[in-house]
Amino acid sequence: MRNVVTKSKDVTLLEILDRVLDKGVVISGDMVISVADVDLIYLGLKVLLSSVETMEKLRGSPFIGPMQEAK
Amino acid sequence: MTLNSVVETDFPEEFIEEIEKSQDALPTKIDANPKNVEKGLAKLVLTLIELIRKLLEKQAMRRVEAGSLSDEEIERVGETLMKLENKMDELKGIFGLKDEELNLNLGPLGDLM
Amino acid sequence: MKLYLYGIIDSGDQIKESIYGLEGAGVYNISFCDIGAVVSEVSQPIQGVTEGAVLEHEAVVEKLMTNFTILPVRFQTIIDGRDNLLSMMQSYYKDFKDNLARLYNKLEFGIKVIWPADKVKENIIKALNEGEQRVLESDGSASKRFIKEKFEKYKIDKEFETKADRFVKVMDIFFSKFAAEKKLEKLKTRDLLLNAVYLVEKSEEGNFREAFEHIKSARQNLKYLFSGPWPPYNFVILPKKSDLLKDSEQEDLFDKVIQHRELVGAV
Repeated sequence: MRNVVTKSKDVTLLEILDRVLDKGVVISGDMVISVADVDLIYLGLKVLLSSVETMEKLRGSPFIGPMQEAK
Repeated sequence: MTLNSVVETDFPEEFIEEIEKSQDALPTKIDANPKNVEKGLAKLVLTLIELIRKLLEKQAMRRVEAGSLSDEEIERVGETLMKLENKMDELKGIFGLKDEELNLNLGPLGDLM
Repeated sequence: MKLYLYGIIDSGDQIKESIYGLEGAGVYNISFCDIGAVVSEVSQPIQGVTEGAVLEHEAVVEKLMTNFTILPVRFQTIIDGRDNLLSMMQSYYKDFKDNLARLYNKLEFGIKVIWPADKVKENIIKALNEGEQRVLESDGSASKRFIKEKFEKYKIDKEFETKADRFVKVMDIFFSKFAAEKKLEKLKTRDLLLNAVYLVEKSEEGNFREAFEHIKSARQNLKYLFSGPWPPYNFVILPKKSDLLKDSEQEDLFDKVIQHRELVGAV
């Protein structure tokens, strides 16, 4: 299980974002429905985290994600 | 499910700062607002002029380093570069543009300057 | 049917484990000859980049990494229907095969190094002032003084870059010994001396980590970050299939821009 100290978590998230938003197999074409490139541009950690807070509010409960699930 | 990838560092905050600084933190949407179109054009033109100006400056520095400029040439080059720099400052002022704004992002190739 | 794509694997077999991805949907493999596209069905495009979705995506890719060679696909790649997916697989088949073969049994590691840029600059200025050679007159016209100031700044910047090069080279020599491929970025910001990714054979992981620890203890005034093992995000090589430019025209344009960048250098 990973360290849940906020700062370490943020660095990990940044490292993941750097890879997942822009690297790897990037496919384009008519068959690909994905959000326009402009929305995939990294908006900064602060904006990202506030989206999570919004999600929490919408669901009315703390966000359950893979990081909190124990295995 | 848990994640396997681990990020190890004794200085998470410092690295967060540098990573954020180096990423494009603002979306570069095309602004079709007519008021800003003029400014957008000015930005593009001035960016290119800045590029050329910096190239000229760098070239001059290389020649000073190599000692291949005569006293008179140093005088002339200095005057030209000085005037260019002042003119650019003036234009930047007129269009309300900062140095950091005069750059172009070439996607996977990074920034122009 | 909207198919959310996580990665391309070197197998057409079904995935034995139960893996769940976005929207809690089951993840499965759609085969194309001897490779496969790992997908899950989604009902709607994910709204924006949220921490949850990103982590769910990454978790799936990493889970697959334990059993297959995987080419990770960019976040939020959704294909419209199975037919389109298969047609995509067909047009990229050779590229995918080549990458899967090259990346077989390899892991990606990230190394970042921060150095005290201000201190480095201070020391350079000190050294330059001590060994000063009066190339230009200290008084003179405004133009001459302008050149002198610019030249001093130029010397400092140049020495700064040279020092960075030297530091990075030494570190890279150590890491490269155990790496199959690498990508280095020097001075991405003034303080971020090195931003690197290395592709390391699984059997060399131990040696690579040791090399990192060695550098870390040898130069303790720098700050280090080590990350991984990652799926090989930075080492997938795919040609850009664009209809805007013919392949040959596109290459020329890129070459020209790269040449120009080298000319501009540390502007």
